[in-house]
Amino acid sequence: MFKNAAEWAAKPKFPNSHYVDSRIYTDPTIFEEEKEKLFKSSWIIACHESEIPGAYDYRLFTHPTGVPLIIVRGEDTKVRGFYNICPHRGNTILYDPAGNAKRMTCIFHAWSFDTCGNCIDISRAEQGYQNRYRKEDTGLRAVKTEVGFGGFVWVNLDDASCTLKDYIGPALDLLEPHMREPMEVFHFHKAVINTNYKLWHDTNSEFYHDFLHYFNRITGMMQPGYFDRKYVGYTNGHASVGSMEIKYDAYAGSKVRKIGWPGLAPGGWILIDLFPGMTYNLRTSVLRIDTSVPLGPNKVMIEFRGLGLKRDTPEERAERIFDHNTIWSPFGRNLHEDLLAVYGQGRAMHEGTDSRWVIHGREENSTIHDEIGMRHFYAEWSRRMGRPAYDPFREGRPEPARAVA
Amino acid sequence: MDQRQQIEELVYRTCLALDEQDFKGFLELCDESFRYSIAAFSPEIRKDMTWLDHDKAGMDTLLTNLPRHNSDHSPLTRHATVYRVSCEGERADVVSALQVFRTALDGGSTALFAVGRYYDTVKLGGSAPKLLKRVVRLVTRELGAGYHIPF
Repeated sequence: MFKNAAEWAAKPKFPNSHYVDSRIYTDPTIFEEEKEKLFKSSWIIACHESEIPGAYDYRLFTHPTGVPLIIVRGEDTKVRGFYNICPHRGNTILYDPAGNAKRMTCIFHAWSFDTCGNCIDISRAEQGYQNRYRKEDTGLRAVKTEVGFGGFVWVNLDDASCTLKDYIGPALDLLEPHMREPMEVFHFHKAVINTNYKLWHDTNSEFYHDFLHYFNRITGMMQPGYFDRKYVGYTNGHASVGSMEIKYDAYAGSKVRKIGWPGLAPGGWILIDLFPGMTYNLRTSVLRIDTSVPLGPNKVMIEFRGLGLKRDTPEERAERIFDHNTIWSPFGRNLHEDLLAVYGQGRAMHEGTDSRWVIHGREENSTIHDEIGMRHFYAEWSRRMGRPAYDPFREGRPEPARAVA
Repeated sequence: MDQRQQIEELVYRTCLALDEQDFKGFLELCDESFRYSIAAFSPEIRKDMTWLDHDKAGMDTLLTNLPRHNSDHSPLTRHATVYRVSCEGERADVVSALQVFRTALDGGSTALFAVGRYYDTVKLGGSAPKLLKRVVRLVTRELGAGYHIPF
């Protein structure tokens, strides 16, 4: 039955934990607050160690808070992270997204820094600063940087944050046996979409939207075991979905996958969402990693990586790339559909459209079409933000009766 | 029509066929051993990447399956300019500049979607030249939601 204005605005007939107010996706105040309360103190994937294999190799990364970062491997092979901001006049130090720099020299006034963040040269220092200011008095702002969980380089802007290990907890245990061999990035692209970053994470946190994907319907949903996949929620808002066997040859032009992944059943698929906007997606022969960098309430940049094994032969790598591209390249069948769907949400939900609620109400014993993954995320979001996602501006609705995990 | 003109016309006809979503017509311009790929270099990971790679049968399946998928229906317009043709025996290597424009269905605004080049290998000697191989080498790598139909 259609709804009039009052009915459209009325809160959904679900527990408070089973829906959110659409304004959490569109409000500029909430967006700015998320950067401070969620992203600043979370561990975020900046790149993979294979992107900086040698001494002095560096990689740039724009942190979700907006801070430009340099990730660099030192002569001692240690990976460190710094602001890509010159302490002199606030200029960008490195411009190319990746490269090799024994000395990182700001082009503006030629101040130079080493890979430990020390200032090693101030041009015409004595003439200008006499003894008032020396190179020892300055340096790059270091950020906490750790390498782990499959060789990814993680950064945290909060000097007082917990360790990466404590942040992840047991969330990646399901994947740990499959990430013991060195991996290598073979695919990278960015997609900028007019939608909220949480809507992308939502899409990665529920499989009910497999109805969107012809490929997944016939290779997954119609196959035995699909509806047995279970969600597990972890501390800090992370969640996983267990494996099943995907029947790739059910899709015309596709075929049974031969190459697989160490320890993963043929056609296997494990997906783990990490709060607040990262996803490990191991499917058959490829590990895909999504990292969301919010650019505005209704704009997100998503970095997509595809990884194989470092020991791959050229033939094996070619097969992984083929598997990846079938569904996940910019011309792949599934990624386009997923991005189209969240673009559609952004289009229907941006400020002023009178979108009111987003429902996360499906309960199916935590199995594949249950929406518990999103409920788990928003319980953590509400806790960290100090705002209930169902009533972010506390306009008089009661607190949830129970926390749902 | 001289050989160079025939080759240029082949490149332009592939653009027209794809723009019109006449996939049968496009594949008729391709040899049986046709190979199509889309490639790009990533300065971020400092590697060459392949984003799509199919033989003729694979292209046929990809295009036949399109109606089963949810796709962006905004039409594309391919603009190619043949820069260089090098003939050797019964083959020609052809380099063309490529611009792809995307037109919104609602309102019809057009924006540049991608730039790159076609690196084509053309089979000569038959009644008409045929495409043996096409590598679409993209300079543009940020394609928003991407696209289901090859460039």
